[in-house]
Amino acid sequence: MNNLKFLLAIWKANLQSAMEYRISFLTQMIGMMANNFLYFAIWIIFFDRFKDVRGWGVNDMYVTFGILASAFGLVSLLFGNAFMLSDIISKGRLDYYLSMPKPVLLHAVSSRMIASGMGDFAYGFVSYALSGYLTWDGLARYVLAMLLAATVFAAFLILTQSLAFWFGTMSNFSNLVLNAMLTFGIYPITLFDNYAKIILFTIIPAALMGAIPAEFIRGFTWQSLSQLLIGASGFLGLAIFVFRAGLRRYESGSAIQIEV
Amino acid sequence: MTSIKVQKLQKTFQSKRKAEGLSGSVRSLFKPEYSSVEAVNNLSFQMEAGELLGFIGPNGAGKSTTIKMLTGILHPSGGETSVLGFTPWKDREKLAFQIGTVFGQRPQLWYHLPAIDTFTLFGKIYELDDRETKKRIAFLSEAFEMQDLLEIPVRKLSLGQRMRCEVAASLLHRPKLILLDEPSIGLDVVAKQHIRDSIRRMNQEEGVGVLLTSHDAGDLEALCKRVIIVNHGQIVYEDKVSNLKRKYLTTKMVEVRYAEEIAKDFSIKGVEILKVGHYGVKLKFDAAITSVDSVLAHISAAGDIVDITISDPPLEEVIAKIYEQAKEEDNKGK
Repeated sequence: MNNLKFLLAIWKANLQSAMEYRISFLTQMIGMMANNFLYFAIWIIFFDRFKDVRGWGVNDMYVTFGILASAFGLVSLLFGNAFMLSDIISKGRLDYYLSMPKPVLLHAVSSRMIASGMGDFAYGFVSYALSGYLTWDGLARYVLAMLLAATVFAAFLILTQSLAFWFGTMSNFSNLVLNAMLTFGIYPITLFDNYAKIILFTIIPAALMGAIPAEFIRGFTWQSLSQLLIGASGFLGLAIFVFRAGLRRYESGSAIQIEV
Repeated sequence: MTSIKVQKLQKTFQSKRKAEGLSGSVRSLFKPEYSSVEAVNNLSFQMEAGELLGFIGPNGAGKSTTIKMLTGILHPSGGETSVLGFTPWKDREKLAFQIGTVFGQRPQLWYHLPAIDTFTLFGKIYELDDRETKKRIAFLSEAFEMQDLLEIPVRKLSLGQRMRCEVAASLLHRPKLILLDEPSIGLDVVAKQHIRDSIRRMNQEEGVGVLLTSHDAGDLEALCKRVIIVNHGQIVYEDKVSNLKRKYLTTKMVEVRYAEEIAKDFSIKGVEILKVGHYGVKLKFDAAITSVDSVLAHISAAGDIVDITISDPPLEEVIAKIYEQAKEEDNKGK
């Protein structure tokens, strides 16, 4: 309960901090929505030409892209430092979080809000609304699937960025796998054979962020829900385990820091 | 009551080594070489509750590493530590509720927000209720004279103002002990004085213990009762500040101003004359060799005295002397 109050307080501070620069906040938000629209326009043109890719149509793409954008946006908004964890570790900036009486990982990742995430988050809902699958219970499934996909995504970021405890800065590697995750997340799952699907559920769990949540939104199945629940809890557990193991190797640093 | 007990504390870092130039970088890519650096080596000391303890040493002496182990930020390579009854690296969260930390080079205030917003956030982090947080902010803003600073974004405060807010923030949850790592770094004389006065006040009024690391001997002189001097991760001196002064401050500087002109060949046996003017003289002597009485007798015999100042050399010189001694002993040992 105390940790929830703490999280709400820190998110409030993040929002206050982002809103100190009103124009930047608004332009980032609107800019990201426009960016997503332009990106998705290519898929609209593609499906206008080919109509169907192994049973996967433009409406499925709307849902998949929507859930991916919303989950990405939610992690950017609430756990923005998950994208920068490698830098925080390698530059010795975990000291601040370690000197506070709260769980280090939770405190560290929640201490930054990436304002453009608001654009992604909102765009996802718009994309879902345009898909033709919008119903009240569909919307409820959308929210649940988004939370689980965001958990997988945040856990995956923490996992890859925590490698910095062992190998020094890992931000380039992490960006690489992050891009792979987002790219494969948006591709129609029907394109991949079984071996590729194993990779998309494990090494780069893009299927748990795009195709599986989309399948769950289009229609409830216990299979897709359990895949999402197992994936989210498994990856989260693994990420926390790796971070904690790495924390024992943390070496701090003497770099002068000018802001939190 | 003991608040900190450190026994044979050790911290060894693995440091990557690389030969000069591109070829060295390529070699290091395929066959990296590491060497061990002992940042803290067999350190043992105690600190009593409510004590003002100075922990000083040159760069790389192991001060910050020790503080980081005492707060649970770093795991030690060996030894035992108890801070307020907790083992820092095992009970980090519980300990953090009882202590405050300030790292002079690492701000904890949110850069884009006014300090009051960070104070309110800290109230939540330290699980204070809203009324208690407000009361405490009011008290600290008066104690640290920051009533006019609280609503200004931190990025717009001067370094001195910001440090005042940083130290105040570390005291929000009424810690029993605060660990200050270089709190006066980069500050001007007035700002340093401000910080020192506020820390002294909190020590006197709330009994909060202070462990302070600093490069600045002035911090030590103004605040601490006891000092530990470290070098190469080991204690080279540990005593009361007053004893440190008595032991090492035997050199006296004297400045005298006379009512009438004095002889240009003014001299006293065993005393170094630094400067002779028409109406004044500046001299230096070692009180362990030449008695203060005899020097004063010679000075007063030279004419009617208008003003006289006797001072000790700055503590920096004393500390430098102790480092030199430690270095010489090191060399002899080798």
